[in-house]
Amino acid sequence: MTHDQIREMVRRVNPIPDPSIFESVDVPVLRTPLERRMEMQTDRREVTNGRGQNRWRGPLVGIAVAAAIVVGGLVVVLTNDDPPVATPAPNATRINPEEMDSPLAPGAYFVDPDGDETSSLGGTFVIEGTGWTALPSGTRKEFGEDYVSLMVVEVDQVWSPACVEPAALAAGATAADLANQVAANGFAIQEALAPVSAFGHDGHHLVVEVPAGCAGDSFMVWDGPTFGRFYQSPGQVVEYWFLDVEGIPVMVEASWFPVSPEEDVAELRAVTDTLVLTP
Amino acid sequence: MTLQTDKSRFEAIWRAHRHQVLAYCLRRASSADAEDACAETFLVVWRRIDAIPPAPKTLVFLYGIARKVLSNQSRAFYRRGRLHTKLTNLGMTSAADPMHIVVQSADDRVVTDAVRRLKPIDREIVMLDVWEDLSRAEIAEVLGMTRSAVDQRIHRAYQKLSRALEPVLELRSISSPPDAEEGGT
Repeated sequence: MTHDQIREMVRRVNPIPDPSIFESVDVPVLRTPLERRMEMQTDRREVTNGRGQNRWRGPLVGIAVAAAIVVGGLVVVLTNDDPPVATPAPNATRINPEEMDSPLAPGAYFVDPDGDETSSLGGTFVIEGTGWTALPSGTRKEFGEDYVSLMVVEVDQVWSPACVEPAALAAGATAADLANQVAANGFAIQEALAPVSAFGHDGHHLVVEVPAGCAGDSFMVWDGPTFGRFYQSPGQVVEYWFLDVEGIPVMVEASWFPVSPEEDVAELRAVTDTLVLTP
Repeated sequence: MTLQTDKSRFEAIWRAHRHQVLAYCLRRASSADAEDACAETFLVVWRRIDAIPPAPKTLVFLYGIARKVLSNQSRAFYRRGRLHTKLTNLGMTSAADPMHIVVQSADDRVVTDAVRRLKPIDREIVMLDVWEDLSRAEIAEVLGMTRSAVDQRIHRAYQKLSRALEPVLELRSISSPPDAEEGGT
């Protein structure tokens, strides 16, 4: 079968084969909210006139420092000792990428870090609380516009430094290499890289905080077969485990915000404690 | 650059590319999400107007922004997983023969399933290749990958698609016998 034949077959199922079909409508749905938001941006630009564009940086740093003190205790709780290794939950329900945002009832779930249904690599965890929803390779619980989340992924690319694009590095071939790449990409480090044994495997542990100051508020970190990740909320705390799962580097990422309710962070910890990675 | 010049440039970019960016988003997300993502993309353009490259690189740059907006983590997570739902809701192509419609519909399902089963990053590469009609160098730019990484992934993705779509091609050859020879008496 030739590439041209395949391309033709895929081309035929293109949902929007010709964007010029929008010509007659002039995308009014977009135009109005965009114009409103542009006016706000324009007002700000006119006021600052190129000066003081970083006027939020000082207060944000202050808020971030205060937040760091507050969440410091939580970080200690989350990273205190290596948790006992849980056993894989039986009869776990697979979370498929297309089920994004679907509510998850309390129960055991399986996620596929490499997005490859033919490989056995996977992670299982148990959710006991309510309000959790599916991510392509994990779960999250929202609180307003923020959330706590747990993700289990293979990583294809790492941005280093995070604000500069395109600057993706191919992800390191080992868990240690990957850990060093992520640790070096501009996060504010809360807990430096350290060896760890977690979820049944050895690797490295890192706790970081998302800094302010990236253009477009896009602190890009990694991209994987199931997910891409960048952060737009300075102060967000991210805890990483980079683990060697029989030669495959797998990254576990738990994140929360300084404003996340304590009970949500506690639930995140409980879900994380049940995680088991299987090769 | 002055504000007025920025506005003029933004307007030009908006006029030239809004439909393509909206189409890009609609191919990967629900209508509401796509409209949000498209508006957000142009807001980023407005904020970063000085960084937007001139044509012919503008559109590729916009696709790169749109891709990141769709994977924005601050308010929502990745939405490209909705591709399958979107694809399965597609209308059928026009065809007069009901049997042909049935075959076409089954074909479409096989194709969409095959695309869906690709790793998301490979699926994105195939979509950029086939639907956005980008060159491999442009795909590399949108995804922030090296050209060789795109080549490798596209090769692997087409191998997988080939295996999945081979039966469809065989079925087509069976259901479309060669034209009968013209004859006369």
